[in-house]
Amino acid sequence: MSKKVPYILLLILLIWHAAVFAQDRFPRPEFETGYVYPVDQMPRQRSVAWEYIDVAVLIMALSVTTWLALKKRSRQGLVWMSVFSLAYFGFYREGCICAVGSVQNVSLALFNNSYTIPLTALLFFLIPLIFALFAGRVFCAGVCPLGAIQELTGIRPVKLPKTVESIMAAVPFIYLGLAVLFAAMESQFIICRYDPFVGIFRLDAPYTMIIFGALLLLAGVFVNRPYCRYLCPYGVLLNLFSRFSSRHLTITPAECINCRLCEDVCPYDAILPSNDSGGKEEPAKPRKRFYVYLLLVPVFAAAGGIILNNLAPALATMHNDVRLAREIRLEKETGVEAVSKAAVAFKEAGKTEEELFANELTIVSRFKKASPWAGVFLGLSLGLAMVSLTTTRRRTGYVPHQGKCYSCGRCFKFCPVQPEKTV
Amino acid sequence: MKEGKNKYQSRREFVRRAGKVLVIAPLVALPFALGKKTNASGYVWQIDPMKCTQCGQCKTNCVLTPSASKCVHAYVMCGYCDLCGGYLRQGAKTISTGAENQLCPTGAITRSFVEEPYFQYTIDEDLCDGCAKCVLGCVNFGNGSLYMQIKQDLCVDCNDCSIARTCPSQAISRVPAAQQYIPKDKSRG
Amino acid sequence: MKFTEKDLKIIRGISLVAGIFTLIVGFTMIFSYIQLKTINPLDNPALLSVKEQYDKDPGAGNIAEQVRAMDLMARKAYFATRRQVETGSYLLLAGAVVFIFCSRLIAGNEKVVPSIPGVKPDQIGSGAKYRKYLLISASVILAGAIVSSFLLRSNLPDLSGNSNPATPEKKGGRITGKEFKPDETNYPFFRGQDSRGIAGGSGYPVDWNGEEGRNIKWKTAIPKSGKSSPVVWGKKLFVTGAEGRTGEVYCLDKETGEVLWTAPVSDIAGEPAVLPEMDQDAGLAVSSAAVNKNSVCAIFANGNLISLDHDGNRKWAINIGLPENVYGYSSSLLIYDNTLIVQYDAQEKVSLMGYDTETGELKWETLRNGRPVWSSPVMANFNGKQQVVINGNPYVTSFDAETGDELWSIECLTGDVAPSLAVNSTMAYAVTDYARLAAIKAGTGASIVWEDNMFTPDVSSPVANNEFLFLATGNGDVACYDAQAGDTLWTHYFAQQFYASPVIADEKVYILDRSGTMHIVKATGQYELLAESPLGENADCTPAFSDKKIYLRGRDNLYCISGN
Repeated sequence: MSKKVPYILLLILLIWHAAVFAQDRFPRPEFETGYVYPVDQMPRQRSVAWEYIDVAVLIMALSVTTWLALKKRSRQGLVWMSVFSLAYFGFYREGCICAVGSVQNVSLALFNNSYTIPLTALLFFLIPLIFALFAGRVFCAGVCPLGAIQELTGIRPVKLPKTVESIMAAVPFIYLGLAVLFAAMESQFIICRYDPFVGIFRLDAPYTMIIFGALLLLAGVFVNRPYCRYLCPYGVLLNLFSRFSSRHLTITPAECINCRLCEDVCPYDAILPSNDSGGKEEPAKPRKRFYVYLLLVPVFAAAGGIILNNLAPALATMHNDVRLAREIRLEKETGVEAVSKAAVAFKEAGKTEEELFANELTIVSRFKKASPWAGVFLGLSLGLAMVSLTTTRRRTGYVPHQGKCYSCGRCFKFCPVQPEKTV
Repeated sequence: MKEGKNKYQSRREFVRRAGKVLVIAPLVALPFALGKKTNASGYVWQIDPMKCTQCGQCKTNCVLTPSASKCVHAYVMCGYCDLCGGYLRQGAKTISTGAENQLCPTGAITRSFVEEPYFQYTIDEDLCDGCAKCVLGCVNFGNGSLYMQIKQDLCVDCNDCSIARTCPSQAISRVPAAQQYIPKDKSRG
Repeated sequence: MKFTEKDLKIIRGISLVAGIFTLIVGFTMIFSYIQLKTINPLDNPALLSVKEQYDKDPGAGNIAEQVRAMDLMARKAYFATRRQVETGSYLLLAGAVVFIFCSRLIAGNEKVVPSIPGVKPDQIGSGAKYRKYLLISASVILAGAIVSSFLLRSNLPDLSGNSNPATPEKKGGRITGKEFKPDETNYPFFRGQDSRGIAGGSGYPVDWNGEEGRNIKWKTAIPKSGKSSPVVWGKKLFVTGAEGRTGEVYCLDKETGEVLWTAPVSDIAGEPAVLPEMDQDAGLAVSSAAVNKNSVCAIFANGNLISLDHDGNRKWAINIGLPENVYGYSSSLLIYDNTLIVQYDAQEKVSLMGYDTETGELKWETLRNGRPVWSSPVMANFNGKQQVVINGNPYVTSFDAETGDELWSIECLTGDVAPSLAVNSTMAYAVTDYARLAAIKAGTGASIVWEDNMFTPDVSSPVANNEFLFLATGNGDVACYDAQAGDTLWTHYFAQQFYASPVIADEKVYILDRSGTMHIVKATGQYELLAESPLGENADCTPAFSDKKIYLRGRDNLYCISGN
């Protein structure tokens, strides 16, 4: 008899029948003892004012770093600045929101009317770029927490051969192009998803990300700043802006005496030697080369556009809806059951397959329109990189590469020149 | 020679200036382009309980351990039933607070007697880990008064929420910070 | 910062200790983290097995206490592991910071002797080499990418929306597919041919009165009562009845109503001594018989299964096991070729069986997933394949009619599932009370195309053709839906309960309520009531249609209704 009790109870309760599914199965109780409904706690997030304080700290940190790198020229100061940024932007703010990821927010906002970008995200995007325009990559020097953690653990620098370096240096461009594309297509924020250090900052992440971050840091002990050099998409923009900066970090406080003591000390290979001496080519040859490569730029751009246009359906798989549609189609064609949670939820929700496939078509066509631009960007970057190789600037002294130099100040102690004393 | 050098320098200067303008222009234009699409107070992530399918991924996919998403109870919707679909597991032999009958794996739901025949069910948030088993039970056999929500004091507000990314019914989206929760009893209208 | 030798030694020592500490903490953390995420302490096998034991026998000893103790241990372990990981990560951070700080001090202290590098590299020469390498690698990548992108092009799926090979024919914009045209004489199973609820032929009467006898050709009392529906083959009508433990199969002449023979179904080897748990009102004769040109088969709620020829001679009789399942076994039979298809639903086992109608040999048995149900199997033909589809809990599953292999399945309903499916050429419709009405696109990769939950019958099965779906609920609502799109076309409230399933015959829908009155509406998207004909006796059984006559089983009598 006791075995049947639940069934009977269930049956009795089920007989309290609700004609409409959306209404209660069981009617609300009418309490007689004066029972008061408790209220569930809904704690709010910390006030948005704190985010503006973060912006203020950002500006302050950038200003101090600029002063340390350009005026005071103190490597120790820059190191302590990195420690502060790692502690504040890294561990305290848990690495989010950061300027590197803000690229995606800007991209999403530019190409979608449904998303409004938070002001702080926009400021985090613009402010480091503005500082780069005036003082070079001071953001990388002492403010970016990802740069800081790499800078502080980069103890035994080792140089990579130039060919490897040049191939790996192409990756940030691809990363930037894809990140902007995927963000604009409302697919994913890949920079955030594959951020290796945010797991360390949060002290909590899927173990794959922690291992990736730890391995990257371990590699970074020898190949310093691996993320900055070979992955950071924001670095592409900083590189560009820094080339036009009005003031930039210099190796020597006064005029370079060409003592060559600083030639091999930069772990990032960002020191350009002077080229007063050495064989000169006839001016006609480099000029012809320059024009040839200049003409090749649109060819590269067009080729990039075409390639990515063809890759668009494959790239569209980044979008959840496209993946689901493909899974359902595969199930229809081969009979292999679609077991992912999204497929199960789709089947239970009773949405029609026509809707799903129509949606897939719209998304893929959006990708087809947008991917060529990413391809053009990549082609242009490659073409312009080659053009810049044909021009040689005459340098009378040793200067840091205006785009690549992170303004970290490691080269300061190798320069014997004393700052000019104003009498 | 000097003239050639000057021409060289001035050409270089021109290119440099042109480049600077080309580079500064989008930077200046950007705030204007995004002027209307900027908001001052930002977003939080929140689960829409009407779309949620109680798949259980809120517990496993949140970057935090324990997950920032927890079960909340809309008491005004609750039937206060003795045979609670969210408290007792399917196939429970008796109705009691014994562990052999409970659905919640961490024992986060407390059942207390109110008056005949009503029982109150409360969620202990420190114990709840967001597995959504009780929500599934309540939706299938009860009034659906238990539902999942992201607790904004725990959520670190990632730019790309990893539960939102993998939610099978796309129930998690950015909501304006002015309205951080989507309560089930209010949204029923 | 300059350190003495002694200072350096101390710093080296600290950094070594910190490094080893970090490594140890790191490894233990990885271990417990993996433990937490993969072997969830809340699901550990010991706890699960104790819970299973409790489920099998809740009264045994102190099994409940054991479950509680294990559960507490599991929960403690879970929270402890979580705390361990948290504190571990802080320790890890602290150790790493100390290690790195010390390493930096040591590295910073090393004397760096600046050196003048060798010959100044030939920039123009190296620049040229650099350019050459870059150009070569760029062209290789470019060429490879162009070639592969053209190759990729042909592999991309055709998203233009056409080319689904088995598209049913379009008829004036509506997809109708092959129309189901059942035989006008034979009505071989519960709800007719293929158990679809669609009758063949035309000219069926709409107007009669059971009490007055108007248009009633004959009325015969059935010796033993039952809830099974009559089935017709040729000139004979077959129906079952039972009283207590004895079941009987009756054969009547469908023209005169005379009982031609009675076949007893009792004293079969393996028959249980005790009656199964069931609705006392219903008795053992709930499942409808099935007939083909050679045999007539019947099953009773105690598991007795019998096959006879049309003259009442027993071919074989076995007991297939007592199907205990709360309300009582009620699934009706189907015959395909010479295979008798039995849907077996019991607490212990839920399966589909195929018996040889001639020999009684069990040809195949396929186990089904889920809980026992009270629906009956339906024969359908999707994509040219003959299959048996069953409305289960929670799966709607389809099986190959010849071999019994499972073809496809979709999770659909919950709760007590008693209504059978409605099928048309492409879809299957599953419904039960307190769940929903779901329209399933049948075939591999089945998915739910539309659903509704305003009208859900608890016993009566819906009926569908390619255009419309009709159902009648236990409240008295009758609804008509667009079969493809799911729009509710019309609904009507009759103040009577519906148990019997509606049947589509002659472009009309015949809906029998529990009081015996037949409501006849036009089978279209507009509500049009044609007639309401009372029987004068309560009736729960779905009627049979054959050769312009309708056969209704009431509580005690079987009626033949004829228009002339």
